[in-house]
Amino acid sequence: MSAHVQPRAIGGKLLDRPMLVLLGLFGVAALFMAWRFVFGIGTVSNMTDGFTWGIWEPVNVVVFTGIGAGAFGVGLLCYLLNRGEYHPLVRPAVLVGAISYTLGGSSIVIALGRYWNAVLLPVVPWWNLASVLLEVAVCVMSYIFVLWVEVLPAVFDGAAESAKPRWAAFGRRWGAALARKMPYVIALAILLPTMHQSSLGGLMLLAVTKVHPLWHTPLLPLLFLVSCLSMGYGAVVVLVSILKLGWNARHDQRLFARMSQVNAGLLVAYLAIRLGDIALHGKLRYLGPNWPTFFFAVELALFAVPAVMFYLPRVQANRGRLFGAALLAVWAGAVYRVNAYMTMYRPAGWRADGTPVPAGWNYFPSLGETTITVGMAAVGVAVFILVSRLFPVVVVEDGRTHTAAGAKSAAAS
Amino acid sequence: MSLSRRDLLKGAAAAGAAVALARPAEAREKVAPSPDAVGMLFDSTLCVGCRACQTACKESNKLPADAVEANGGVYDAPADLNSTTKNVIKSLPTDAGGQVFVKQQCMHCVDPSCVSACMLGALHKEGEGKRKIDGEKKGSGIVLWDKWTCVGCRYCQIACAFNVPKFEWYAAFPAIVKCELCRHRADPAKEGALAVANPACVEVCPRAAVIYGRRAELLAEAKRRLAAQPERYAPGVYGEREGGGTQVLYLAAAGVTFEAMGFPALGEGSAARFSESVSHAPYVHGVTPVALYAAMAFVVHRNKRKEEVAAAHGEEETR
Repeated sequence: MSAHVQPRAIGGKLLDRPMLVLLGLFGVAALFMAWRFVFGIGTVSNMTDGFTWGIWEPVNVVVFTGIGAGAFGVGLLCYLLNRGEYHPLVRPAVLVGAISYTLGGSSIVIALGRYWNAVLLPVVPWWNLASVLLEVAVCVMSYIFVLWVEVLPAVFDGAAESAKPRWAAFGRRWGAALARKMPYVIALAILLPTMHQSSLGGLMLLAVTKVHPLWHTPLLPLLFLVSCLSMGYGAVVVLVSILKLGWNARHDQRLFARMSQVNAGLLVAYLAIRLGDIALHGKLRYLGPNWPTFFFAVELALFAVPAVMFYLPRVQANRGRLFGAALLAVWAGAVYRVNAYMTMYRPAGWRADGTPVPAGWNYFPSLGETTITVGMAAVGVAVFILVSRLFPVVVVEDGRTHTAAGAKSAAAS
Repeated sequence: MSLSRRDLLKGAAAAGAAVALARPAEAREKVAPSPDAVGMLFDSTLCVGCRACQTACKESNKLPADAVEANGGVYDAPADLNSTTKNVIKSLPTDAGGQVFVKQQCMHCVDPSCVSACMLGALHKEGEGKRKIDGEKKGSGIVLWDKWTCVGCRYCQIACAFNVPKFEWYAAFPAIVKCELCRHRADPAKEGALAVANPACVEVCPRAAVIYGRRAELLAEAKRRLAAQPERYAPGVYGEREGGGTQVLYLAAAGVTFEAMGFPALGEGSAARFSESVSHAPYVHGVTPVALYAAMAFVVHRNKRKEEVAAAHGEEETR
């Protein structure tokens, strides 16, 4: 670690105006959540027996964890391929991962009808190993734990810098102890997302008749694995670009350009797998003047445009353009995932001409559902800001503008 | 840097190859109907749409009416299966200007998607759940719901091609509602395998449009009817093979397709077998995750040591 640039606690006022806005948004969402627990899910959402997962599963779980996969992606580069130059990105990426996965997990609890029975999930003899959702649930719960363990070094480092000797000794001792065990945690932090991100795609395998054929394929697990990495790398660039604006975080343009070329490879791989699937499995006949084809084309464009942009020197050299391309890469994965789970899902399936078979159900998210999703995202941003202010997570460009002194006292208090 | 990109792509390609190669090797076995599997046979040419079965179902399952107000009166008129309706009769217009009726309830699939989907085996075939449940015996193939292990995730609703499991959307403590073949009305007087259940809808049907029996016998009866009066029926028995087979079987009137009756066009293989085969393929009976973990822990550990050695050297040089 000594060779790397050290991250630093940002410090500053904890309850500033943006923070209050974020907490306010979460507060409104919390009211809807409370309502849901008393009067039932149907009273706050437009979910029905036909569209039973609404937006909570596709967005709060599948998209949030895709964004959180930056921890997985950066971990792959930094630790498995031993690219030490990515080290400054690890802590922010891991914190975002820990937060978004925790949000995904908590959203599930809100979405579960019989949430009280979820305490039985650790009863191994009752596990139905055929259930893809069980794999996702167990893997995601373990990974949330692993991610927060990965956040701990920042907390211990923060403690070690504390002015209070006991607190500092605690941080040094446990920081060193954890550092020795870290490789075994990191290996788990790579294995678990490989498993559950592919299983998130695998969840829709059962819905043979319901997911449009352009999206339903045995390659769903592979496509979800690739798309989580492309989203994750994009999200890291987006995140650090924003941190650069807000806190003058260190923004290594050349490093981002290189990482984005890795991402370009993933985006191209996705396109190749997707187009190969359509062509080889005889699905070209589903293309035509219809909505599925339109969404399919939008998706392909969203993957292709950043893939090309990441290779252009004028994008690689420009912070704003690279940010834009990275944001598109996040949107690409998000749109693919929401399409596979929701937009292109119909309870009675699809006709060959691309129109859904009528089944008496329609869906558009309700105000309550949307507020809960927005509130969850808001509290995620709030937690990120809070932890970054208190503990050394973000690598800051200029030490003189942001001294660690304020943070130390904040951490100690 | 090209190295890591290539590695990533190689990894993706290897993963793809693993999925493609391992699939046939590890495809999950087909599930054959149990010899004692029980079910129902619905003959749409016999149903007159009296809906006595709907009322009987509600009575014996203690479900409230789906009250619809119209023309100054109140009717128990569910539009579809829902959380207060486990059995419904729908009317379909025919080309000849008449109507045919179709009865909907749980199909009690031979290899059910909902059972494959269910995390803790809350939806399970009788006697084959994960949790030991008193009084359940393996063999009937009835798909039952266990309130003690259901977390209400509703993946069963995504999984079921027939959209059968229903959720109580307006309850603080909701349940999953679906037909359990009136297992709670089991009649010990019935002979052999049939003693496990006694569907109220069958008991009340004035025309024997729906009959209860062992699946094998119901299938033979359906084929006998088809052979005896081919002009009366549409060809085929829905549920014989569709989606791996169902324990509730259907005969359609001539000129009416099963698709028009609201049934999905399913292949012969079950969705459960497809999903489990694809999902389990890369795991190779659990070997892959363990091997991957060991390999990655080794590499990460080695990288860390290399880095520490390099850092130590660097410090010595600067001194």
